Amino acid sequence: MFKKLQQYDKGTRYVALVVLVILIPLAYSIVKPIFAHNDPITEVFLEKPDPSHTSCVRDTTYMRLHHWELLTKIREEVVRYGNRTIEIRDGKKEAIGLNDCRNCHTSRERFCDRCHNAVNLYPECWGCHYYP
Amino acid sequence: MNRREFLEAGGGILFAGVSCAYAGHLLTSYATKTTGEDSPAFGKKMGMVIDVNKCRKGCTECLKACKAENNIAQPGDSRWDVHWIRKVTLKDKNNTNVPEKPVVLLCNHCDKPPCAQVCPVQATFKRPDGIVIVDYHRCIGCRYCVIACPYNARYFNFKEAEVWSNKGYPRRTHGVAEACNLCAHRLEIGDVPACVVACQNIGAGAITVGDMNDPESDISKLIANNSTKRIRMDLGTEPKVHYIGL
Repeated sequence: MFKKLQQYDKGTRYVALVVLVILIPLAYSIVKPIFAHNDPITEVFLEKPDPSHTSCVRDTTYMRLHHWELLTKIREEVVRYGNRTIEIRDGKKEAIGLNDCRNCHTSRERFCDRCHNAVNLYPECWGCHYYP
Repeated sequence: MNRREFLEAGGGILFAGVSCAYAGHLLTSYATKTTGEDSPAFGKKMGMVIDVNKCRKGCTECLKACKAENNIAQPGDSRWDVHWIRKVTLKDKNNTNVPEKPVVLLCNHCDKPPCAQVCPVQATFKRPDGIVIVDYHRCIGCRYCVIACPYNARYFNFKEAEVWSNKGYPRRTHGVAEACNLCAHRLEIGDVPACVVACQNIGAGAITVGDMNDPESDISKLIANNSTKRIRMDLGTEPKVHYIGL
């Protein structure tokens, strides 16, 4: 395969180079959120919750990067199977949903919107769900 | 292998590795997909019994309770108003001596729901406990179900509810179809639907909701001890809303 590539003219090789130049940043952008978990930039946007609450359902790193996976899982269980008690923390089954986020994170503007706006994401949760 | 080949092969392997890492990440996130296998809904068959003889003429308590509980859009225009439950008066055209009967109509939660059959995105579906429910996250607003329903129980949201009358339950935005979901969110926490509570509060108790698979439940006894009718049985949709005295 690589020997065959040498038979091609210079033009093909330049095209291959350009494609590589495009692919490398793309690959980097995909890999970065998987490995770089503690990005100091996100600290700026996130509201610290009420100090009386000591911990979220999962650790901060997971919640920052994968909270939507958890929310999707809860949504599927509740809407499609009517199963409200879900194993969210390790080994414990609890009835926790989107409504329970607002117990600690009281402001939607400071908790959700600031970060979503910064990364140019506009999920439509609050069209239907109530969050002050 | 010369230097060029080595670099090209190395680049290829690196890119393949990166792709695999991303694919693995995607796969692990989908591996946690829901199954609902330990859901309490399995094995149940939720149904409703409406005693027409107990239903009072001119009373709209269940309608009001439903609208308040489920944040139903009421823009004040008959074209856009949504009714999960509505009240009609039955007359006998041939025999005027028969008294008029007030009847509440709602989604019949069919065992073979035509609305779920026509839904192109499986937004409307029958839950394991038999409740026909809409996943508003999936609904694309094509309105096939509104046309398919033979009971006129389904409505389209032309306008959304402006306020949340019940903050614990979501409203619906413009562009989704909806119908009665038997207050599934209340049944899941062991409560009874809002219309049942409202009917009991005024002392009529015409509506009963429960598990029809459980022979000890109130609804099973009502069905066993009374002659019940279901609407449009000729269609083969097998509705689960039973009427006594219709």
